[in-house]
Amino acid sequence: MSGRYLLQKLARAVLTIIVIVLLNFLLFRAMPGSPARIASHHPGVTQAAIDQLAARWGLDKPLIPDQLVAYVNATLTGDFGLSYQFRGEPVTEVIGDRFWPTMILIGLGELFAIIIGLALGAYAGWRRGSAVDRVGGGISLVLYSMPYFVIGMPLIIVFAAGLGWFPTSGMFDAGATYASGLDQLLDFAHHLVLPLTTVTLGLVGAYSILMRSAIMETRSEDYITTARAKGLTDGRVLRTHAFPNALLPMVTIIAIDLGYVVAGAITAEVVFNWPGIGTLTVDALQARDYPVLQGIFLLLSFTVVLANLVADLVYGFLDPRVRV
Amino acid sequence: MTVQDAATLRARRQWPMPKQAVPGAPLLEVEDLSVRFRMPGGPSVKAVDGVSFRLEDGEAMGLAGESGCGKTTTALSLVRLLPANGRISSGSVRLFGIDLVPKTERQMARYRWREISMVFQGAMNALNPVKRVGDQIAEPIEIRLGQPRGAAQKRAAELLDLVGIPEKRASAYPHELSGGMRQRAMIAMALACDPALVIGDEPTTALDVMVQAQILALLERLRRDLGLSLMLITHDLSVIAETCDRVMIMYAGRVAEEGPVRRLFSAPRHPYTAKLLSSFPNIRADRRTLDTIPGSPPDLRKPPPGCRFAPRCAHAMPVCTEEAPTEVRFADGVRVACHLFPPGAQGVVASGVAASGIGGGLVRAAALPSAGGRP
Amino acid sequence: MTAAAVTSPPRRHRRLEAARDFAVRFSSRTDGVVGLAILLVFAILAIAPQLFVGPLETAVTATGSSLEAPSAAHLLGTDELGRDILNLTVHGARISMTIGFLATLITIALGAGIGIMSGYLGGKADALLMWLTDVFLVLPNFVLAIALAPILLDIIGAQAELFGIRATLLVIVVVIGVTSWATTARIIRSQVLSLKERMFVDRARVIGTGSGRIMRRHILPNVVNLIVAQSVLTFAYAVFTETSLSFIGLGDPFAPSWGEILAAAQSAGAPGLLAWWYIAAPAVSVVLVVVAFTLVGNALDDLLNPKSAVRR
Repeated sequence: MSGRYLLQKLARAVLTIIVIVLLNFLLFRAMPGSPARIASHHPGVTQAAIDQLAARWGLDKPLIPDQLVAYVNATLTGDFGLSYQFRGEPVTEVIGDRFWPTMILIGLGELFAIIIGLALGAYAGWRRGSAVDRVGGGISLVLYSMPYFVIGMPLIIVFAAGLGWFPTSGMFDAGATYASGLDQLLDFAHHLVLPLTTVTLGLVGAYSILMRSAIMETRSEDYITTARAKGLTDGRVLRTHAFPNALLPMVTIIAIDLGYVVAGAITAEVVFNWPGIGTLTVDALQARDYPVLQGIFLLLSFTVVLANLVADLVYGFLDPRVRV
Repeated sequence: MTVQDAATLRARRQWPMPKQAVPGAPLLEVEDLSVRFRMPGGPSVKAVDGVSFRLEDGEAMGLAGESGCGKTTTALSLVRLLPANGRISSGSVRLFGIDLVPKTERQMARYRWREISMVFQGAMNALNPVKRVGDQIAEPIEIRLGQPRGAAQKRAAELLDLVGIPEKRASAYPHELSGGMRQRAMIAMALACDPALVIGDEPTTALDVMVQAQILALLERLRRDLGLSLMLITHDLSVIAETCDRVMIMYAGRVAEEGPVRRLFSAPRHPYTAKLLSSFPNIRADRRTLDTIPGSPPDLRKPPPGCRFAPRCAHAMPVCTEEAPTEVRFADGVRVACHLFPPGAQGVVASGVAASGIGGGLVRAAALPSAGGRP
Repeated sequence: MTAAAVTSPPRRHRRLEAARDFAVRFSSRTDGVVGLAILLVFAILAIAPQLFVGPLETAVTATGSSLEAPSAAHLLGTDELGRDILNLTVHGARISMTIGFLATLITIALGAGIGIMSGYLGGKADALLMWLTDVFLVLPNFVLAIALAPILLDIIGAQAELFGIRATLLVIVVVIGVTSWATTARIIRSQVLSLKERMFVDRARVIGTGSGRIMRRHILPNVVNLIVAQSVLTFAYAVFTETSLSFIGLGDPFAPSWGEILAAAQSAGAPGLLAWWYIAAPAVSVVLVVVAFTLVGNALDDLLNPKSAVRR
């Protein structure tokens, strides 16, 4: 990868993060009245907390530069303020507890969806008009059109409440004690199955539809004709010539899609009461816990920007035309 | 260049002849080949219509005509690499006497690249952008010839050397090579399995003139050194004049005229050949005298009855729009399909009037600047 | 009689012919026709829900008892308040489709405006606008929408109304529109760039037409096709997003969209109680409408977009 490419992508990521931070500042300050006044309407926020809030954000000083500087300073040092809701706990701690359950759900969901979706889409696009293409295409379109919670609710009805194979909610059995770490892991996995299936199904549709069209585009490329002229088997042409090229646009698309995945995961978590960022978001929303909401917005935005940066690097690694 | 004896050439093969090969059969014999394309919501199109030709070992044949005349389709149908909506509707393609048309896709794959390989136009697109050039050359050696990876890589490096690319560039990606280098790499790849026939589909079109000359010189050298049989598809008649022994001119899916390059270029018989020659810039000729062919090739969905060139032909007679001309063969090895040369002349040394009279007249007429390009 | 009046009949005739030609081409796309049929059904329901199921039931006017399974009286069962699910779902069509429609208007206006300006003006304006577009492409729209919605609600107050539409719904409309224009801007821009290369813009510029006029009179008519196809796809996305936003509690309980009904089902614990009927009708409606819009959008895109390529 050329240094210029790397630098360009890094600069873009940094700029985007700056915009996000500024946007966050504006959102917060755009509210009528000061944050302190909003907080004072909030039950469970004490006068001491409000005083602290005013001092923290320099609310007695002008908006720009003082408040902005204070805010940027705090954000950069990882201080997102105090939650209104959870007895004034720092936002970072509130969010921190919920971070990993969400990461596991999204990470594994992405992994399965990429493997299944790309394979299905590649095959469907290569064998355009075949039974796999028609049936798979129909299923993909329906999955693609289903909000995650619409996928999750029937899963609960059938596999949890109906057949009783899996728990309906949570991450661990309530009040359970475990004989060993393995037991605990098994319980976790048991709870994970349905939410994970939901997230995976929610993603598979989009990925297979996109991969199908990416493969169909490479199909008509001259180098595919060359590969066929070489007398290679159809499967080999697909695997070693069409697939690696079709993968390139997918890397970017998957990265851009991450924002939607986060959204989907939020609703999936609500359905299964999965103790991640998603359920925290809904709780914070209901309690109008702005510091937590903002913290979530910052965190998820950072994560998506970072994932995009990683995707750019992966792209640079996969495509020799970028790599030098 | 002298055409070498077929037996010597076949003895030079590194790999055995195909098992079903008929001894003494010509390298390639195409008979009455027709290719149809299905069109969405319309009648199918006959892109190639009753084309026949023959290619001997060590021979180089040029295939020329305006774009859309069916020359590339003809070449692709030899190895059945037609687009999904195209298929061979009739005729035979015999390689060493083996008819390839009825072969299954699996059987067909055995002949691809090992017997007939291709060099495509614009190697930037014909080479896989994400694979190293050396790997792409080694791929058929490894997969098709079953050579171990190391040996295949070594052979790929040798082939690169043969076409004038330093061996160390084997690890380069296509975009890292210049246009000329990519085309050389493509040629090296075409030679990977020591094929009996290499088809070049506009192999020099995308290149600038200097590089074109180098690539042509390379092809010439490979023909001499390896006894390569070559089929060169191009609209550039000067390339054919420099490289080929014989030339076949196609118009609207049919053969207009075919024969030895010298005969055909010095005394074209078919009015289309004459027009094509006069419309082509010659380095020595004054560009201002360039002629154009009025009109455009017919819509193959509704081909005109009779001779397909008739609507654009200055010499069209009533019969031309009614009946398709039959091919006649002259003693000098040229065959032509034109009503100016009725079948009575077949097998006879071309009568003075027919050959030099009309043909010569055409050449002279073509040298004049055409007024507005209208007949 | 003016010159325009003289020439107008043949021109209208030509337009009619073009429209008929397009209709013929569209009707050959089975998927598009199926999608259109589904949309027509839902459009009719959305226009006059009370004709089919009577006025919207509330907790007071509920006709059944709590969580009744489907029966002759309640074809699709009842919710925990005893309201008829069929009644709610049909009325939900009106709310969901209205929000989808308005959000699409905002999205397309922003996307097309920014795309055309960026592509046409070029230079620094283009760089700035495209950078902004890039930022919005990367930003997790949905999360931004979640952060934005309660703040907007606090500013205008949840009880406010505009043109008879309740503030909660307006906020959803605005939030979807403001966060999802980036894809459209990208697509329109690339089309404008290639249009710019063509002759007629040069000719218009030489004659001395102003930039704004060129954009309106020469560029816009030529990207209309693309805008139409993109609008239909955006509509699908808007309905999808509305459903999700309502589901997590940003909806209006007094105007039950499909997402709002599903949110109510979730908080009533319907999945755990095996009350599948509570979920089935609104869920199937959402999926049908999104599928239908996607089918129609893809068909239109294939027919109208000169370079229909890979994208979401």
